[in-house]
Amino acid sequence: MSLSRRPLFSLALAGLLALSACATRPPASEPEALAEYEFNNDPLEPMNRGLYVVHNGIDTVLLRPAAEFYRFLVPQPVRGGVRNALGNLRSPVIFLNDVLQGDPERAATTLARFLMNSTFGVAGLFDVAKAAGLPGHSEDFGQTLAVWGLGEGPYLFIPVIGPSNPRDLTGFGMGIAADPLTWIIADGDSTAEALGWTRTGLTAADTRESLIEAIDSVNQTSLDPYATLRSAYRQRRAHEIRNGGDNAAPSDALGTGLGAGGSSYAPR
Amino acid sequence: MNRRSLLSAALAVPAATALLGALPARAEMDIGRASSFIEATGRELVATLNSNQPIAVRRQKVADILRQAVDVDGVGRFILGRWWRVATPAEQQEYMQLFEETLIRNLSARFGEYQGVTFSLGRSQQRTEDDALVNTVIQRPSLAPFSLDWRVGEVGGQPRVVDVIAEGTSLRLTQRSEYSAVISRNGGKVAPLLDAMRQQIAALAAREGR
Repeated sequence: MSLSRRPLFSLALAGLLALSACATRPPASEPEALAEYEFNNDPLEPMNRGLYVVHNGIDTVLLRPAAEFYRFLVPQPVRGGVRNALGNLRSPVIFLNDVLQGDPERAATTLARFLMNSTFGVAGLFDVAKAAGLPGHSEDFGQTLAVWGLGEGPYLFIPVIGPSNPRDLTGFGMGIAADPLTWIIADGDSTAEALGWTRTGLTAADTRESLIEAIDSVNQTSLDPYATLRSAYRQRRAHEIRNGGDNAAPSDALGTGLGAGGSSYAPR
Repeated sequence: MNRRSLLSAALAVPAATALLGALPARAEMDIGRASSFIEATGRELVATLNSNQPIAVRRQKVADILRQAVDVDGVGRFILGRWWRVATPAEQQEYMQLFEETLIRNLSARFGEYQGVTFSLGRSQQRTEDDALVNTVIQRPSLAPFSLDWRVGEVGGQPRVVDVIAEGTSLRLTQRSEYSAVISRNGGKVAPLLDAMRQQIAALAAREGR
């Protein structure tokens, strides 16, 4: 324990030291530099880079090994079932956001999928609705706030969660608060609580497992993985918000971080 | 225009072209022309990736295909962006060589992963006034298929790939952000980027190994 704690501690310290720093805004006399600064939307870059270092430390000693262990322990068809079930459990929140975005067609799809998969799909383990021609989609409060016209705010990198911004982080919290399961678990006995933690643990394992290759590839090929993740996250979120044609799987409806729409490279 | 009518348009264009014979040349990229270009290039690339020839031979072939299919100069300059004018002529020239090498090595280092790859055309849609966006579905054995969009522009009278887009994420935008961050964090100098690119190419070559 002490072996793994010490580097984490120094990493956290490095992150805190970076907290005080702010990126310098280029002067108006350098329009191209200024345009890039605004395009990147990362005024807190020094702090974010510090937090990114902290995240990488946690990821190296904990998250990625846990994901590898999950992949090793649980064979593929079962992992697929777990992903389907986790996605199915997100249905109420996805449905709510479909409605809040004024999209009755997508709301109806989400509802029909939930009913079909919860019954014929054996508690969501099998995505029978997709087979029946009703593919799922993700939707979250960050996207709803964006559709309502709220700006994203400055880019943030949060350890463990990953790339985010104040809007998506708020949406992430709203997603937890609006999830009926959150309240059922809070009101329930110790069994309910254990199931709640199981769900959280499985969500983390499933999300990180689905990203093993993608993140390895970024770390191997990017000359600046931080900048690559920032650009990719912001482009993908913009694409999700305008419902740009790709259907991220319901299991990717975390609404922020590395798991937002990230694991489903499914064809249209 | 909804998706279905776009799809039927995409299907109708090649047929109409065949029926009507030569159409007047247009500046904007025609969807049918773009998708048949992507299909032909993709077929060539997949055949090379799946062939049993030695790696060096395959890499040479892939390099030839990419040089012909990708607007390497245009994409390379787009990615260097505002730093192009900061670079000396010698740096510009070296950057272009390294950029092309990076493109080729990134693919050749993954020959193993791409064994058995297949691809098919998905829906196709016109995206901007000048470029066409061609959707493909890439399938590798025992992995979930994924969707890639190829942005095809007209460069020197020929269709050329100018960008690759995965789930709304443009590769050239992401790479511009990456390269610019390297230069910015090294005091606005292009030379450290070139050093990093050289190291990366060496690392990719080592991975390619044999």
